[in-house]
Amino acid sequence: MAAATLVATGESKDQTSWTISAGRVYTATGKVIEEGRVTVEDGKIRSVSKGGGGDLECYAITPGLIDLSVRIERDLSSIEQSREITPEKRIADALDWFDEAWKREARSGVTSVMINPLERQVVGGLSVVVKTAGESAQKRTVKADSALYGAIGSAPSQSNHPAFGRPDDFYSRRPTTRMGVEWEWRKAFFDAAMAREDKNLAGPGTLELQKALAGDLPLCIQAWTTQDIRTAVFLKEELAREGLGKLRLVVDAAAEAWKEPELLVRSATAAILPPFSATGRSDDGSFFALDTAKVLAERGVTIALSGHGARAASERLCYQPGHAMRGGLAFDAALAAVTINPARIAGIDKRVGSLEAGKDADLVLWSGPPFEATSAVIGVLVDGRLVLDPRTQNK
Amino acid sequence: MLSFLLAAVALAPANAPAALGADTFTLKAAHLRLYGNKVVDGGVVKVEQGKVTYAGDAKGAGELGPDIIVHEGWASAGLVAARTWSGLGGEGLEPKRPFTAEARAADVVALGHADFARARSEGITTMVVALSPANVASGITTVVKTDGATTLARDGHLQLGLSSQALRTNRFPTSYTAAIELIEAELAKPTGVWERVRGGKLSVYLDALSRDEIQRAVALASEHRLTGALLRAPLAGELAGEIKKAGLAVVVGPFGPGEEARVLASVTALGRERVPVAFGLESPNSPEALLRVSAAMCMRAGLDPVQAWEGLTTTAAAVAGVGARVGKLAVGCDADIVLWSGDPLQLTSKVEGVFIGGVQHESKGGAGHGGAH
Repeated sequence: MAAATLVATGESKDQTSWTISAGRVYTATGKVIEEGRVTVEDGKIRSVSKGGGGDLECYAITPGLIDLSVRIERDLSSIEQSREITPEKRIADALDWFDEAWKREARSGVTSVMINPLERQVVGGLSVVVKTAGESAQKRTVKADSALYGAIGSAPSQSNHPAFGRPDDFYSRRPTTRMGVEWEWRKAFFDAAMAREDKNLAGPGTLELQKALAGDLPLCIQAWTTQDIRTAVFLKEELAREGLGKLRLVVDAAAEAWKEPELLVRSATAAILPPFSATGRSDDGSFFALDTAKVLAERGVTIALSGHGARAASERLCYQPGHAMRGGLAFDAALAAVTINPARIAGIDKRVGSLEAGKDADLVLWSGPPFEATSAVIGVLVDGRLVLDPRTQNK
Repeated sequence: MLSFLLAAVALAPANAPAALGADTFTLKAAHLRLYGNKVVDGGVVKVEQGKVTYAGDAKGAGELGPDIIVHEGWASAGLVAARTWSGLGGEGLEPKRPFTAEARAADVVALGHADFARARSEGITTMVVALSPANVASGITTVVKTDGATTLARDGHLQLGLSSQALRTNRFPTSYTAAIELIEAELAKPTGVWERVRGGKLSVYLDALSRDEIQRAVALASEHRLTGALLRAPLAGELAGEIKKAGLAVVVGPFGPGEEARVLASVTALGRERVPVAFGLESPNSPEALLRVSAAMCMRAGLDPVQAWEGLTTTAAAVAGVGARVGKLAVGCDADIVLWSGDPLQLTSKVEGVFIGGVQHESKGGAGHGGAH
């Protein structure tokens, strides 16, 4: 696949080795270095240490931000709606590498993103983690098949009900209710489990479902409301109880997780939170409390913040930690929620998510204290390449 | 330019009654555009039984024979439209099935349709009748002349739709992923039209709109070594290198006044990479005159005039798979000749006569005897 555009100026376009210093280097390993320096060599972090000077200077450096719920695909053309369960379909095959959204994400500090199939499907297929800039699709892919993704809630069933009459003819797309959605999930996993014994029961996607059952493939389910988060957790618990599998569950868009945090605690489920809203009202009729991140983090739930594919600039990931902190989340936890936590959830923490020698040189340069309203992202490096040049930004 | 026009107005009628209906004659033209940038002043074309037996300067022509047509303007090969919906009467789509690969435009096209007479009056003598892009495998194109009778190639190309227009939310497949999977499954079939495509015996027309769709189309063609052309692909020029590597041509247009600068710049970029570019129409939905206007728009945006002319003639004929017969004035080619008031690349030049297979169908005063207006 072709080159996706880099956003850089002039001669530094191909430069992949840098020395960058800052008043504070937030490594996301629990360590903050005052008057610190990051050296980058051939796109990798060579060292993180005390010291000043270098090619670029700024107020603070954090690891590149990671958003696990991003939409840069071709809308409905990216999912196969002729079936409700399409675990084998890869969203990677339907990406638009030319979308301007890549640049917007990169320039706002997001360096890795997980792209998920649209929630129109019950089981949409395989997600992919990619860098937001780089030379080719191949080089940009951090992790292919990073999760099996699907949805619980009204999204997979809404508008399936015909305008009039009953949805019981074969012209209607199924399912038409939340219960129908849940049934699709349970049947899919049950059939996949049965297909272990009887190969005749296997079909397209059976393999992916079996991998999820075995815990080899994270299962990411979009569920906004408590009702739907419950359904997801109950599904995991039921499958474990019946001895059919051990899901590694992640709930995406877990807006109402604050209502029953124990559900996530007891099932060791990670949560990706959607963007905060002005009134707390969020999608699918949910209410997303400002202290959700705080409540979950304090109970030990692994959380990641996300922009959930927001097109509005004010809803991008770089602003979410500020709102989470306004709701009571500690700075360290907020930083983790956009760096090392999402890296761990997606299984890419060996490469990205913190500033450590040997990791990818994905860096965000800030004009002031990260996530504060008066601070801005003034520089971004992806794999050591400058996609936003701090020298061209107003400090 | 103006002088050509004046000359044409003053002198052109002289040839009018000369050879209507005959397919053996000699044409003397003030300017002959043979092919590419090969222009001969004071040129001669000899035609015997519908074929060109000589095209060049007067010196090498030898005996001119009794039946001589004199044209004070320009003459060139008839234009080739690498895509049209003419003559189908809206029957070029079977929407109930996403894969109608064996459907043939040749089976439904009406050669005597007024669409073709209109095209002819614009100097277009050969057209690739393509199908609607709203199916994943739309069917097989056909290559026809605009004389109301001649089919040059019953099977032109297998037309595949890789744009979002080929996908529906209420019919399988709804996604790019499944569409590509299905095409690949069909390509694995050992017989029929897909086998011919796989073996390079039948080329493909790959319809794609956005750059990601173009990318998928090019990847498909490369992987399965398909030969042929991309259809529409407005920003193909931004992927010119990849398209070149895959060995594909691009059928662009139609463009009219007001076309986006970026789209026109894309055609220039294709030309710069030496990707074969041919112009196409969407007539009857678009006026046939837009074929030449498309080339003019691209020239104004920077496309090399020679490439623009080839896109209207030789390249288009090659893309259509009939390059040996039409698209240039050369010995052995069909005598599809257009008489122009001036240089055919200029917008203001008008068609003053059209011969197809040596038979005159248009003349300055209006349609010739073959006209079906």
